[in-house]
Amino acid sequence: MLPIFKSIPTHMDYKGQKLAEQIFQGIILISAGIGFVYGLIIEQFGWTVYIVLAGFAIPCAPKIRNPLSWQPALPESTAEPSQKPQESTKKKKHK
Amino acid sequence: MNTVLSRANSLFAFSLSVMAALTFGCFITTAFKDRRVPVDIHVSKVMLKNVDDFTGPRERSDLGFITFDLSADILPPIFDWNVKQLFLYLSAEYATKSNSLNQVVLWDKIVLRGENTKLNLRDMKSKYFFFDDGNGLRANKNITLTLSWNVVPNAGILPLVAGSGHVSIPFPETYETTKSY
Repeated sequence: MLPIFKSIPTHMDYKGQKLAEQIFQGIILISAGIGFVYGLIIEQFGWTVYIVLAGFAIPCAPKIRNPLSWQPALPESTAEPSQKPQESTKKKKHK
Repeated sequence: MNTVLSRANSLFAFSLSVMAALTFGCFITTAFKDRRVPVDIHVSKVMLKNVDDFTGPRERSDLGFITFDLSADILPPIFDWNVKQLFLYLSAEYATKSNSLNQVVLWDKIVLRGENTKLNLRDMKSKYFFFDDGNGLRANKNITLTLSWNVVPNAGILPLVAGSGHVSIPFPETYETTKSY
């Protein structure tokens, strides 16, 4: 039961989100520019739309993750010697 | 951007905005264009009859028959990337005693994108009846035929363009009475 819950990502990857947003905006803007010029040259606005749709389809595919680097687990107070640090290293794996 | 739905939402919204901007660009690149084209109209035969007009005042009205040739090359200046189709129509304009301006559409044609845009029509008969609402056609010396077109665009205004080159014809003094059949 527990490992299932632990496999669900719960932290917010703000940097990854920002990067993903910038990437998809860049892709769509570039495809829009290409499509506009191409449509203007061949006098077909339909091709402009198709090229923008192709650019739209690209960011639908990948999911970008920016791994967070966590601070290494601090050694707990000397009263509990070995159990806690192990648990926190386990957690670290899923980030 | 942290769930699939919100990511899809921002992607759709941004793409839609970009598409709207592109459509506006398409409009603005063609908005100030001159879409007039020289048209060559030649009338080969004119016939005038005086028949019962059952739609109007139940009196005999003038009915004209015109056979015309039409040639125009409308491809290069008109069919740009903001044009879906053209609606061409040939109209007759004339003045009578009762009306200073009469306009009758005699013939029309839709030209779709990708169709042959070189018009070269010989001995065309008018599609629609050329009925006057009285007896204004007989001996009318100045009946002007003009080819005009509506441009149906992808985005923007729907311009109405009159082709340059019209022809003025006189109508005969007498009615055609002999039955040819």
